[in-house]
Amino acid sequence: MGNSYNYIKYIKRVAFSNALDSIISLTILSFGISALVNLFKWLVFSANWSVVSLNLPLYLFGSFPGDQLWRPGLWISLFAIFSFITLWGPRWSWLRKSLPFLWVSYAPLGIFLLAGGFGLSAVESQNWGGLTLTILLTSCSAIVSLPLGIALALGRQSTLPVIKNLSSIYIDTMRSLPLIAVLFFGQLLIPLFLPVGLEINRVSRAIIAFTLFVSAYIAEDVRGGLQSMPKTQKEAGEVLGLHPFQITYLIILPQALRIALPSLTNQAVGLLQNTSLMAILGLVELLGVGRSILANPEFIGRYIEVYIWLAAIYWIVCTVMALIARHLEQQMTLDKKDF
Amino acid sequence: MKISYNATAQLVIALIVILVVSILINNLTLNLIKTGLGFNFSWLFRPASFALAEHPLPYSPSDSYAWALFIGWLNSLKVIFYSLLLSTLIGTCFGLFRIGKNALLRLVSAGYIAIIRQTPLLLQLMFWYFVAILGIKKSIISPMGNLLSISNQGINLLGVTLSAEFTSLLLGLSVFTSAYIAEVIRGGINSVNKGQWESFRSLGLEESIGLYKIIIPQALPAILPGLTSQYLNLAKNSTLAIAVGYSDIYAINDTIINQTGRPIEAFIILLLSFLFLNLFISNGMEVLNSMVTRSTKL
Repeated sequence: MGNSYNYIKYIKRVAFSNALDSIISLTILSFGISALVNLFKWLVFSANWSVVSLNLPLYLFGSFPGDQLWRPGLWISLFAIFSFITLWGPRWSWLRKSLPFLWVSYAPLGIFLLAGGFGLSAVESQNWGGLTLTILLTSCSAIVSLPLGIALALGRQSTLPVIKNLSSIYIDTMRSLPLIAVLFFGQLLIPLFLPVGLEINRVSRAIIAFTLFVSAYIAEDVRGGLQSMPKTQKEAGEVLGLHPFQITYLIILPQALRIALPSLTNQAVGLLQNTSLMAILGLVELLGVGRSILANPEFIGRYIEVYIWLAAIYWIVCTVMALIARHLEQQMTLDKKDF
Repeated sequence: MKISYNATAQLVIALIVILVVSILINNLTLNLIKTGLGFNFSWLFRPASFALAEHPLPYSPSDSYAWALFIGWLNSLKVIFYSLLLSTLIGTCFGLFRIGKNALLRLVSAGYIAIIRQTPLLLQLMFWYFVAILGIKKSIISPMGNLLSISNQGINLLGVTLSAEFTSLLLGLSVFTSAYIAEVIRGGINSVNKGQWESFRSLGLEESIGLYKIIIPQALPAILPGLTSQYLNLAKNSTLAIAVGYSDIYAINDTIINQTGRPIEAFIILLLSFLFLNLFISNGMEVLNSMVTRSTKL
């Protein structure tokens, strides 16, 4: 009795404290409920999901050869398994300690599984596609641009004018350009800068372009972390008689990266979303698959179903990444308390 | 001794960079000779011979490529300017909802931000264009009589006609950026000391007056840098116009590259335009910033 009274009081306080508040709340409730009911009705009864169900392998794996589908399948499942272990897995210390290595080896493993070699039959990069290609572009670019970005950030903080200026020019120019221009550069112009006769495939060119772009943003995030380090940390290292390199790698950088972690994970989520730009530059990643399915006369005009389905996949993957990020941040702050 | 070590390190790095750049330029020259393209800008003054659906200044296909690029520039500026205003408006509303007293508004705002931020902008733009605008079945919807009419040809607002391409780009960019701006606003307001809220309440000021007179002026210095970077992102993201067929600077560059086969020159033009645009926006925000910090100091 008393409990339900408190409940009513709480609802009154948060949504019906005065006349205006009540009007707003009632409007939201009525619109919200009718919108949800209509959405549910549409999702279940009106929408024609055949455009999704008939093309499920395409969305996941692109036009990967049918008898080899276990390779991208295994790779995507590993993403789910690693995420699950990171978020909710058992707290065995050997497992926790090996997680960073598992994640780092994820991208090279993907290239091996998709491209083949070493006993697996070779599959051309034209046949990579769908969610597999989206995750491949993201993980490969992320893993290369992180060290590059850290190097650029350290370069920009350097006391040596040549290094400082070169890093600054690179970072500022890259950050002023729109991503699509850089990706376009990757697809059309990188071949012109290579020695005559040498060619690299479209996927590698996209990864190079993403790496060039993202490393400039990572550099600025890491620089933010570096700048927030108090001078005393460096002085403490000097007092201990450490070499400047040791001070940077053992004292400054680990702490700066911890501070930069939230913005770095935002970059990772942004990178995954931005791989969709390759759909207008000729790769059939997740959005590209959607576009090519919509161009098929059999499914013409089924925009809403395809877009909602794609949005749902992107949303789930990005939300999982954001959850992992928050989990990491919490672990890092727990570490701090131990000191 | 130490100075000479540093000098050597710099010299080595400078030499490596010069070496890499010269190898790249050498490759480029060889490739351009092989394809017989060469490098010059004289094509800029030849007739463009493509039509543009949208041009704020007079334009015809017989005008030069340079003029077409300038029109693209104006189209870009137009959509950036209006999206900037609209996204600030929507973002401020959702940012204030997010910290307000009403729990339902907080929920709606949190849901909005979570959905918009976790899906790609390009997908959202395509949704606005192909579903929200081109998907309108009825010929014309006029919710406010002659003031506003919406059809799959675009929007007519107070006698001004906005094309379907412009409308979807404007809405897509504004909605996407507004979710980020809402977070900037929320962060800025949360950065103001809680004691400020308590003190104006204890003085008997109303919530809305206290918010505008006490809290927001103190939050602005924290909000403006975040806002600047969102505006810069908005300007860069406006190049996704090509996905909905709006002729902005990037889309026109793309057409020109397809027609003339001169990617290097066109890319240099694109690069310079964006360096200039970034300078323009960050300087504008710098002026605003100095105005705000001065007014709070007084």
